[in-house]
Amino acid sequence: MKIGLIVCLLALTTLAWAKEGRLAEKIDALLPQPSAADDAEFLRRVWLDFDGGIPTADVARVWLADQSPDKRTRLIDKLMGETRFALRMAEAFHVMLMERRGENEEWKTWLVECFKTNQPWDAMVREMLAPDFLDEKQRGASYFLTRRLEKLGQQDTDYAGLTRDVGRMFMGIDLQCCQCHRHLTVSDYKQIDFSGLYAVFQNLKLQPVDDKHKIPWLSEGLINAKYEFVSVFTEKKSETAPRIPFGEEVMIPVFTGDDGWLVKPDRKIKEVGQPKFSPLREVAQRIPTPENALFAKNIANRVWFLFIGKGLVEPLDLHHSENPPMHPELLELLGREFTAHQFDLRFLIREIALTQVYQRAGAHQRHLLAEQKLRAFLTATGERERLEKNQKADPNVDSAKYALADFEKAFTAALANPAKEPELAANPSLRSALFFRNSDHVYWALRPRAGNLIDRLAKLPDPAGELYLATLTRQPSDAEKADLQAWLAAHGGDRSKALSDYAWALLSSTEFFVNH
Amino acid sequence: MNPLCTPLEHTFSRRAFLGGGLGMLASPIFAEAMQQRDKQVLFVWLDGGISQLESWDPKPNTEFGGPFRSIKTSVPGIHFCELMPKLAKQMHKLCVVRSMSTKDNAHSSGVDRIQRGDPKNRGVIYPHFGAGVAKLLGPGSSGLPPHVWIKPGSGGFKVEDAGFLGPKYGSLAFGEGKPPENLLRHPEISAERDAARNDLRKMLDQRFASQREKRVVEANTSVFDMAEKLMARADIFDTSKLPERDRERYGRHDFGQHMLVARQMLEAGVRFVKVTSYGWDTHGDNFNAHAGMVPKFDQAFSAMLEDLEASGLLKTTLVICLSEFGRTPRINGHVGRDHWPAAWSIAMAGQGVKHGIVVGETNERGTEVKSEPFDIGAAFHTWYHALGIDPLKTEFDNAGQPLPIAHDDMLPIQEALA
Repeated sequence: MKIGLIVCLLALTTLAWAKEGRLAEKIDALLPQPSAADDAEFLRRVWLDFDGGIPTADVARVWLADQSPDKRTRLIDKLMGETRFALRMAEAFHVMLMERRGENEEWKTWLVECFKTNQPWDAMVREMLAPDFLDEKQRGASYFLTRRLEKLGQQDTDYAGLTRDVGRMFMGIDLQCCQCHRHLTVSDYKQIDFSGLYAVFQNLKLQPVDDKHKIPWLSEGLINAKYEFVSVFTEKKSETAPRIPFGEEVMIPVFTGDDGWLVKPDRKIKEVGQPKFSPLREVAQRIPTPENALFAKNIANRVWFLFIGKGLVEPLDLHHSENPPMHPELLELLGREFTAHQFDLRFLIREIALTQVYQRAGAHQRHLLAEQKLRAFLTATGERERLEKNQKADPNVDSAKYALADFEKAFTAALANPAKEPELAANPSLRSALFFRNSDHVYWALRPRAGNLIDRLAKLPDPAGELYLATLTRQPSDAEKADLQAWLAAHGGDRSKALSDYAWALLSSTEFFVNH
Repeated sequence: MNPLCTPLEHTFSRRAFLGGGLGMLASPIFAEAMQQRDKQVLFVWLDGGISQLESWDPKPNTEFGGPFRSIKTSVPGIHFCELMPKLAKQMHKLCVVRSMSTKDNAHSSGVDRIQRGDPKNRGVIYPHFGAGVAKLLGPGSSGLPPHVWIKPGSGGFKVEDAGFLGPKYGSLAFGEGKPPENLLRHPEISAERDAARNDLRKMLDQRFASQREKRVVEANTSVFDMAEKLMARADIFDTSKLPERDRERYGRHDFGQHMLVARQMLEAGVRFVKVTSYGWDTHGDNFNAHAGMVPKFDQAFSAMLEDLEASGLLKTTLVICLSEFGRTPRINGHVGRDHWPAAWSIAMAGQGVKHGIVVGETNERGTEVKSEPFDIGAAFHTWYHALGIDPLKTEFDNAGQPLPIAHDDMLPIQEALA
């Protein structure tokens, strides 16, 4: 009965695909690949991408032994059905959108909920750009704006930085240079494109938590005239109403006297006021639309980058006519289908994962986030469960020396990119090298302890298979087996130490710290 | 003397060079000797603004001169404030510019703008001088991190110093002169074990590189190598083994001991070393404050000049000492001096600059520059020139956008250049 239903559903979906043609197949037609990754390479890749860590040796062994032809597709669907997938996407989007500006629980919860319930990207962007601060469900989204408008020290509020980031994140255009003049190298980018957005954001004011608002919130001022700007080159004065880049100006409604206020400002009762005309809501409605072609293309390109390791347009935030995609037809296709599917991120991600190019042999070596590295490291060393259980660290008890939070902090400090930098490429640093070489965290995880990697390996007469499967998700070659044998023969006086050192070398190696 | 700070003359004498004729130029020994002479920078930052009147440009017996006398220096006709007796004896090594005239009057922006050379606003954040030097000259033959900063307070990796050059060129800050986190080998791991497993890691990386694009492996290798070089020279953070006399000469105060660590770093071949001394913002009680602080600075800075001279490093090390601005000649109601960018002094020595000279002068009351005024951009031009980099021919590359390394409307202070 159940099987019948599945067959029936499969037949129906196949029928639908045959009619429309599945996106993955269309991509394959544009980008056919000579060879597919072997199972082990695929397994590690898909796990890092969809779970955010690596599979345990046991899980890997079972899956690699499975002979069914559709096991890759089933694995993708299984992983996408797990809560981990939502957490992993939330992590990836958090790093992409906030660029390590800090952590915020409500923001994280909002992102996780969005991916759990598969919120369409346009809805997500609308909530980020014009959040309802009183709605518990979406106020977490406001962190995108409010964090960027916090005053740091004596510096002025960075309205220009926010304007720039809205262009970068949601349309794939970096308008920074257009703050003061037309772009020098990109003829598509004009000063009005920056100014039209800047007019909106410079009108915001960060307000503190109060009786009504549980989080910092934004008030808007009254806008009743166009925003004036001057080019530092030509000294020519221009003006613009609120406007999204390359779009139409928003009509500014004309009010007389105090008519512009929905709620009038009143100092006595600390009312900052609320204008009837909200430029913020206007741009939040106009950016995430099918008509704004860059909206879909930007995110399609960013998701492509996330899963393939190379953007179709690079830099990711420099879409313009003189910087064409390396495969224009493909980006066009991705943008079109993503739009047709109501900006459904799960659809886009699943289709990309099903392509030959995602599953190919020798894919681009991709940077792992500090969070992925930590997850992979703890799965490999077999210490994750112990750390998750340790609510509080107790330095006097070896097994309780650290809690998960200590490791999260140490790994982020050692491995994450600095704040306000896009985290795109593998970027090893002196700090990360010193951390791996000398830190007590790494040393602790590689000491034998009941049930952990070193403990398990020490009990095996021939540990090579387990070691390689647990750390690199693959079987060792004959040469690698021989290397380990030779190492154990030379350093075998203390077998646990010798195994720990070998595991350390594998876990500090480049192969462990890239997705490929 | 530290065995690493062998003066070049010992290994490669001038006579051998002259006698060797042109053939010598091509010889590998010559090339090696030249490489050993990596140009270096010592950048001393007196945060808050040292008073030029209580240091390099005294105006005794004038309206704003304050209570201190001026004293003769080792160069006839040049006087320093009496708070700097030791540096007065080193004047023949120094090049003092008394005609700095900059724009920024606030610490928050001044500290940054002065160290970034206050270039024209192009909407990008410029690198600090140290990051620029690290980018243009690299780590040099020592392989040690090229941009380090010794400072009171906390340390860490200060990426913001690098501006658009990217985090790689940020400074590695040693808070209280202490080493970075995780520098020392784990106490439970022996040196042999540590070396053996590190060799194993290298071997595994090499094997991986042979099957894949090499770029990522190379980047990983380079940071592990740098970590190893720094671990091997962990001694440069340790001043406890230095002769007692050295520690006395530099002074048993933060700045003195930090300068001593800086000396060790320069001797070890670190390309750019910045040392910061905080607390020079004397809006109140300026004279007592300077009477307390300037002698400490005098002691450590003069000891450093002596040692760099003795080791021969001064020939290849550009020494720079400055603040974000000077202090007002007018004495305020709290017997203090406020911020004064209009007329102040910087001091330089060593690589590429003249010695025993004063450039420029201020008026009698010290309120304005009387000679040609120089903005900080001109100082950047001067420093790059002194290091053999022509700012008119060298550009930074900001993701394809060429940017001048120093303010494009300014030129070096010619009088100061050797």
